Parts: sequence; C-alpha cells; structure tokens
Amino acid sequence: MPAFGGRLPMHELSLALEVCRLVEGVADRERANRVTGVGVEVGADAGVEVENFRFCLETLLRDPPFDGARTDLVPAEGDTLRLAYVEIDDGRSHH
Amino acid sequence: MAVRTIEVRERVMARNDELAEEVRRRLQRAGVPAFNLVSSPGSGKTLLLERTLERLGREIAMAVITGDVQTQNDADRLARHTDRLVQAVVTHGACHLDASQISRALEAIDLHATQLLFVENVGNLVCPANWDLGETAKIVVFSVTEGEDKPLKYPAMFRNAGYAVLNKIDLLPHVSFDLDLAMANALAINPALRFFKTSARTGAGLEEWIEFLRSSARPPAIASPSLIPSSSPVPPW
Repeated sequence: MPAFGGRLPMHELSLALEVCRLVEGVADRERANRVTGVGVEVGADAGVEVENFRFCLETLLRDPPFDGARTDLVPAEGDTLRLAYVEIDDGRSHH
Repeated sequence: MAVRTIEVRERVMARNDELAEEVRRRLQRAGVPAFNLVSSPGSGKTLLLERTLERLGREIAMAVITGDVQTQNDADRLARHTDRLVQAVVTHGACHLDASQISRALEAIDLHATQLLFVENVGNLVCPANWDLGETAKIVVFSVTEGEDKPLKYPAMFRNAGYAVLNKIDLLPHVSFDLDLAMANALAINPALRFFKTSARTGAGLEEWIEFLRSSARPPAIASPSLIPSSSPVPPW
C-alpha cells in the first residue's frame, strides 16, 4: 500500500486504509466529485480502539482524493465493522 | 451542488475474508489442514513449534509460515529443525497477519508435498482474532506466567479459537497460576475449546499434542491429489 511508505504501524491504520479503499470504490461508482462524509459502524467487540481508529481515518480523509471528508463513527453491536454510508457531492445541481 | 448519502453497509474485512476463503479452498483441495498459532508475545509459540518439528518432522511433512513484526529470528530458529520450507513474513510494524500474506506465502509452498501447515502469527491477542487467514483452526497458546483472566480480557481470541495450549506447565510450582480457574475462564467464553497442557521446554504433556497433530495431518499416501473427490469424508480436525 502506498500510504506511509507501505509500513502499517498499527491495526487501526490498516483498517482505516481498507475503509478508504471501499470509499474510493463507492465514489468511483457514483461518479462523485467529492466525498463529504464517511460513516463506519464499529462494534464494541470489533477489536478496534475507537479514538485511535478515528484519528487514523480523519488523517487519511484529510488528504486527496477525500479533501477533508467528515468522519462519523457509529457505535454498533458485537464485532460489527462496516462501512455504513458514504456522503458524496456529485457536482450536479438539483432543482 | 447536490450532496447525496449512499448507503453501503459493506464489511471492512470483506476483502480479507474473500482472500481467506480462497486460501481455505486451496488448502482443502490439497487436503492440508492449517493451524494458526496465536498468543501474546513470549508464550512459547516458537519453542512449541521447534519441539513439534523435532518430534514429528521426520514422520510428517510440515510447512510453517511465520509472521514477525521486524525480524526473521523465529523463521531462522525453526529452519534449524527442519529441511522443510519455513516461510517468513515480516509485517513491518503491522500487528497481525492477513490473508493476502498467507496467499503469497503459499506460492512458495508445495502443498501436494505438505501434510500439515502451521501459521505462527504475530504475538498479539487482540488483532489476529479478527483476521481470518483461511486456517482450519486457530490455536491459542496461553502460558502459566500470564494471568488466569486472559480469556476474559481477550474474549474474541478465545471465542474464535478451536484449541488452547496451556504452556510452560513446568513453571506451575513457581507461580500462583490456577490452572483450573484459567480453564474455567476459557470455557466460559468458548465451551467447545479443547485443551493441551504442555511444557515445550521440558517436553511434559507434548505426547497428546503430537498425537493430535498426527491424527490431523493429511495421510501421506495420496496417489494424485487432483483425484480426491470433493465429497471425500471430512477429516477429524
């Protein structure tokens, strides 16, 4: 993985990178101009330190192609760890 | 500008789990069981594997994929005990192995000449619990110099493991570790857990462990692995 020179210093960062990969897939599919928010459901038993994960995700979402998309971590049951939603700006004007 | 919210609900681990399923199918096609050894650092995974290779290496063709954060020390130790392939995966800081690393490591292993595969995971009881590597079972190694409450502190790992090796039992007279309490704690998390009590250092209790591996390994005399029907009976692991 290109980010951080291929060195993944921690579990949460590798998960955050995987979230970003999924988000990019959604943004491409939806032909988004910009990603404005990312929601991830995190279960209490997901093996994720939430504040650490938030920091990693916010750091990655600050840079292109995301440009400061909002990070929204939603508490969930069990070992759930899911990309819940992606909020995009598709650049089209709506009436 | 139009801001839209796209519902996704896609599991973050989905890609890893797909790769793990591929690994699992590859191993099943070759009939090779794979045990993923997980534990906290220093519980004795590498010594247990060294003793296993020493005792069983001439009888059963075993391959090992060993994960290490920064060195190849474990792979070097294991390679002294076997002329079989020991594949080192240096994770460069990552705290667990993932299925893509196992998939790549398998490229260098001739599965048709292998009867049993070990994966020695990075010493860590948290993250490896959530990463499916396509293994047959996770085996958690838990030493008597740790706390009896370890299963309660790391429930995901004990829940996801099929077997627990209680190691360093030679040290029991010197520590206040309550073996029965530790086992009760583990069974409270996972009632199906099967235990081995060993000292890799002295060899105590290794017979049962070795016998388990012997009965789990793929039988040696299979004429052509491609001829095994997919409906062949499920092996005993």
